[in-house]
Amino acid sequence: MTDYTQVLFKNRRPGETASLETYEKTGGYEGLRIALQKTPGEICAQVKYSGLRGRGGAGFPTGVKWSFFPADQPGEKYLVCNGDEMEPGTYKDRQLLLADPHQLIEGMVIAAYALQAPVGYIFLRYAYEDCSQVIERAIAEAEAAGYLGKDILGSGFSCELHLHRSAGRYILGEETALINGLEGRRPNPRSKPPFPAQRGLFGRPTNVNNIETLANVPHIMRNGNAWYQQLSAPESSPGTKLFGLSGHFNRTECFELPLGVTLREVVQEYGGGLRNGKRFKACLPGGASSPYMTAEHLDVAMDFNALEEIGSRLGTAGVTAFDEDTCMVAVTRNINRFFARESCGWCTPCRDGLQTISWLLDKIENGQGTEDDLTMLHDQVRNINGRSFCALAEGAMGPVEALLRLFEDEIKEHIRKGKCPFG
Amino acid sequence: MSELLPQQQIDKLKAHAAEIEHPHEMIVDVLREIQAHHGWVPDAGVVLTAEILGITPVEVEEIATFYDKIFRQPVGKRVVHICDSICCWSTGGEEIADHLQQTLGIGFGETTADGLFTLLPTCCLGACGDAPAMMIGLTTYGPLTATKVDEILAKERAELAKTTSGKD
Amino acid sequence: MPKLIIDNREVTVPEGTNVLEAAQALDIVIPHFCYHEALGAVGSCRLCAMNFLEGPVEGLQMACMIKAEDGMVVSTVDEEAVELRSHVIEWAMTNHPHDCPVCDEGGECQLQDMTVAGGHSRRRFHGPKQTYINQELGPFIQQEKNRCITCYRCIRTYRDYCGGTDFGTFGSRNRICFGRFQDGRLESPFSGNLVDACPTGVFTNKVFRFKSRVWDLQEAPSICPHCSLGCSTIPGGRYRELQRVKPGINRETNGFFICDRGRFGYDHVNHPERPRQARLDGQQATVDAALTAAAQRVRQMVEQHGPDSVAFVGSARTSLEAGALLAEWAKRTGSPHLLFETHRERDRAARILVDRLGDRACSLAELQQSDLLLLIGTDLIAEGPMAALAVRQAVRAGAQVVVIDPRPIDLPCSCTHLPVGPERLPVFLDTLVTRKTEALTDAERNPLQALLEQLDAAKTPALLGGADLLGSRGISRLLDAAVALDNNERPVRVVGLLGGANSYGGALLTRSPRDFDTLVDDIQEGAIKALVCLESDPYRECFDPARAQAALGRLELLVSFDCTPNLAAQRADIFLPSRPVAEMAGSFINNEGRLQAFEQVIEPGISIRETSSGDHPPREFSLETPGALPRPAWQMLAQVLDLPGDLPAIRQQIATADERFDALTSLTADETGPRITDPVVLPDTAPDELPQCVPGETLPLLPVQGFAGSDWLAHLSAPLQPLEGEPTIWLHCDLAVRLGLAEQDQARLTTPLGHCHVTVRTSARMADNLVLVPHLWGTALEGLVPGGRHIDCRLEKEVNL
Repeated sequence: MTDYTQVLFKNRRPGETASLETYEKTGGYEGLRIALQKTPGEICAQVKYSGLRGRGGAGFPTGVKWSFFPADQPGEKYLVCNGDEMEPGTYKDRQLLLADPHQLIEGMVIAAYALQAPVGYIFLRYAYEDCSQVIERAIAEAEAAGYLGKDILGSGFSCELHLHRSAGRYILGEETALINGLEGRRPNPRSKPPFPAQRGLFGRPTNVNNIETLANVPHIMRNGNAWYQQLSAPESSPGTKLFGLSGHFNRTECFELPLGVTLREVVQEYGGGLRNGKRFKACLPGGASSPYMTAEHLDVAMDFNALEEIGSRLGTAGVTAFDEDTCMVAVTRNINRFFARESCGWCTPCRDGLQTISWLLDKIENGQGTEDDLTMLHDQVRNINGRSFCALAEGAMGPVEALLRLFEDEIKEHIRKGKCPFG
Repeated sequence: MSELLPQQQIDKLKAHAAEIEHPHEMIVDVLREIQAHHGWVPDAGVVLTAEILGITPVEVEEIATFYDKIFRQPVGKRVVHICDSICCWSTGGEEIADHLQQTLGIGFGETTADGLFTLLPTCCLGACGDAPAMMIGLTTYGPLTATKVDEILAKERAELAKTTSGKD
Repeated sequence: MPKLIIDNREVTVPEGTNVLEAAQALDIVIPHFCYHEALGAVGSCRLCAMNFLEGPVEGLQMACMIKAEDGMVVSTVDEEAVELRSHVIEWAMTNHPHDCPVCDEGGECQLQDMTVAGGHSRRRFHGPKQTYINQELGPFIQQEKNRCITCYRCIRTYRDYCGGTDFGTFGSRNRICFGRFQDGRLESPFSGNLVDACPTGVFTNKVFRFKSRVWDLQEAPSICPHCSLGCSTIPGGRYRELQRVKPGINRETNGFFICDRGRFGYDHVNHPERPRQARLDGQQATVDAALTAAAQRVRQMVEQHGPDSVAFVGSARTSLEAGALLAEWAKRTGSPHLLFETHRERDRAARILVDRLGDRACSLAELQQSDLLLLIGTDLIAEGPMAALAVRQAVRAGAQVVVIDPRPIDLPCSCTHLPVGPERLPVFLDTLVTRKTEALTDAERNPLQALLEQLDAAKTPALLGGADLLGSRGISRLLDAAVALDNNERPVRVVGLLGGANSYGGALLTRSPRDFDTLVDDIQEGAIKALVCLESDPYRECFDPARAQAALGRLELLVSFDCTPNLAAQRADIFLPSRPVAEMAGSFINNEGRLQAFEQVIEPGISIRETSSGDHPPREFSLETPGALPRPAWQMLAQVLDLPGDLPAIRQQIATADERFDALTSLTADETGPRITDPVVLPDTAPDELPQCVPGETLPLLPVQGFAGSDWLAHLSAPLQPLEGEPTIWLHCDLAVRLGLAEQDQARLTTPLGHCHVTVRTSARMADNLVLVPHLWGTALEGLVPGGRHIDCRLEKEVNL
């Protein structure tokens, strides 16, 4: 394993959460001090030129998103942290919070200042009760130390953060559904435009960023863009990234690696190869919505652009590996059932289309599939992809489309044999 | 546990709702508090939430029925959520689920005869590195083996016995 | 005005039109569920896919979500779009039960139409279907959740458009359903719109359920007779029974919806006690004989006692045609006594409004565009429910609403309500006219000042007032206020809520400056000896029934034309059975002066249900249809006047005689209708009896309209009975405490007219020291007419022994 620079995980100790003291000792809240010396516009510009891209899955340039935000507009504006980490195979935000939560607090205060949105919400999924306690403590510590609250560090800038504990449902990770959820409305996604930056929470300008994204901001402030960009090789994907390994790896841990490491390095060096010495068959490179990569992709660089070029997505960089004995129909069936179950029910293709795919995959996996079912699977994917109201169903099509593209023979074998060839 | 919420807590929530501009935003919070205290949210809990927030029960029910972690039907003292998403599935989650059903003697959606445990499947718990995983109440456990499951259930049982006897 | 090309055809559409609507403008109808002209587009069903080939948007898009723009080139027949539409239908159908043979939506199932249009014909999904437990939603709506395709139209109609608060969306993913939190009657007075909004059979009309297959119904465009707004309806009948009413589309008035009173108030047509037989001096007679006798006796009366001895009174439910012929009859006799409303204040208010409304007239469509609405002395839910919906749409677009009214007004939208006593209304109106606030109390001054400022700043303000509470003086002052509040940039619009469907038309036809109360004086003194009542009941509907009833006994001749079992019909010397709106063609003029025609839906007759206990065919045989004698009032009056009895000829005659009604000759029931404004014969100045109630030692009682059952026709409709309920009164909670009464107490209400047992309801949102009472039909207090003479009362708790 290469000794890569640890930024987000530099204070990570097994079973421990870094205290404010530890955080401060390692440069914590220096980024905030620096930021408060600058104008909000300067911070936005710096984040933009740092090249930081959103860590929630879409990889959209954070600074560009911030540049759409009407920071000058009078009245209430909100900053929302998306902590609804619910895509299967994704657990990096939890690891980050449990390791060193003040990064998020500091990042949010800087973002709140840069966007002139002094009220922040941290939206946290139901299952992360451990994180919620960590965040509450961090908020209290930051308030006591003057990093949060009124007149932060004597700058005149005030900022308050609220923690919202959710009650389940993956759709809340979609930013407009999350906003509805915060408001206490049914969490269906909203029509865009208007984008949250124009009309978001309570009808006011709102900026939504992922936990890991916001946690990067203090480090960029403190160390500068040049430092940030040298952390990784690909120009398009600067910085480090938390890779959460799961599935059939020998080591299923979360690692902070520079963007652009190869899949091979992830699989062999960090995952330690596959269990029981099995061969690598495929993986989800970035959560359950990212199209599969196979052994032929082992030398692809794990960055936003490179993965798009091979028809996949870096997503959340939650890498789930499958060994040679894994039935990819069964894998896809499991994943699709998740998306069908987590559909909010707003639009027809997602609500009823995913259910139809679940039924088809069940049928095929159980050995009752026909050639017609394969044809139907193709036409379902074709008509769901890009046709749904939000990105959920499109994400759901990632693995199904990849199954048809990369493993159609396996499907046919199910149909031909009238049973799952993997037993 | 027959009481939905202690009066003191109701008063506190009402006071907070009166202070804020958008009491709707507290719907999930209030439902979770009722659930934490009462175990689940009966119709009366929906009505109480509406009353606390000064909104209609239907507005609360729309939210309560959307989220899978708000229980609108009776559950046992501990809800066992066994993850059935891909990482847990690929690491033996199904076997753990079978084991749980056998050990507890119930199927998914059922509650043990002693009223202690309800077993529910859940989507990914964000414990993929510790797969297979489950969550009991709000505590996540993993990686699980059959033996570990037995130990955890025994521990939960012991804790439940303690709180029950303590109350009596 | 963007110009675009759809399927190789060019179309220019107004700014803001979406591409689905643009295609419809070319008669290209693309299947859709979530889009609805009144509800707008939300993009949830994903059905209306089109391919955008060129222009600012490209690729496959949901046409309802894309605003038409210049340079767009769109294909609706594109292969991808067609394929997607068939898939969306297939998905929508995955959980839909195949219960079409027994489904009451059959024949008007939009889902079926869209399935065929979408090209889905073979079921491929054979997985389990989602099923649900239905709710009991009260007397109007039947729910069958399993049929739901989750198009969200119901919630958008019931809650977003109509403002209902007891209906929601429950669950998630493909387990979503719509309904109430718990079983119970849907509370919105617009609940029936769920039936039309739902594209399939989830919400059906419980009253109509299984009565007829819809293709067997006789239907025709009609006008609702239940208030003065003139909403378009499409009643449907079969086997001589009127079985349902659904909304017609008139974009100027009701749009696409109607209220539950309009939808379920039709049953007066089928009322078992409806008089269907002509009578002459207490004996059955033929219609012809009774008509001849009526003509003769009126003539004899005039010959013996002069033209002043005969009076002619129509009503707000008299068609314009019948009214015009009644006027002609009066003219031929030389009688100066012709009125169309026996309720003095409603009559006078209507005439003043009609005289002065002019360009201030405001349709419901225009009302939706208002940015500030002042509702003074009107409870729209009772007096013009669809106007309340129009107000709601204005509020959704950002308008402010101020209500000044003693009642606990329940608008389906937010408003600022000043619950002042009825005696304060004239003071408020004066203040709006003069801007002098001396007469106001300290508590009243600030809100009124603020209101005046809001009115000055408003770009499209509208004043709404009701004839019942404002009376003629109030309506007059309302119009004065509009004049005073006009400025160079805009006029102030006025909406007056009048007594009934043709109050406006009646006012146009009225020839006498006198009102019915002064005619009662003449009857009492014996100067008027004969009264011809055209669908009018002076015994129970006038301003002061007690006084009228005493006088009416002195009449030597009472002639009544009617289709309802009212007192005039029962006591008439000569009775002629007329037809309700659904059984004839005719026209009404609504409260904004809109002339609208209606067509005949069914022939009169006692329904098979009654003649054969519901079996078919009937077991009794006769050459004549039972109960089929009633004729349109205009036809009978034409016979009296020896005019041709067909409607086109009568309309031609009316238009020739009175050019204001020119449009009648070419009017059809499917048009929005022209507006008629004209000065009319104004009433004499009346003794100033308003304000109606004076707070003090006594307890003033204010009769008001309720949502159901205040209008006579609605009261006669069985489906509305559950809403009319037991006699109820409303009190301010503070007054209730002072009287030792509590919510739901039983009390004895005593007035000079008699007493009645009532249920007490209390509200903090109404004027103090006042008892509100809806029309108590069938009780000793049925003479308490909304908008009628002021009266004091006593209220005592009844103790159950």
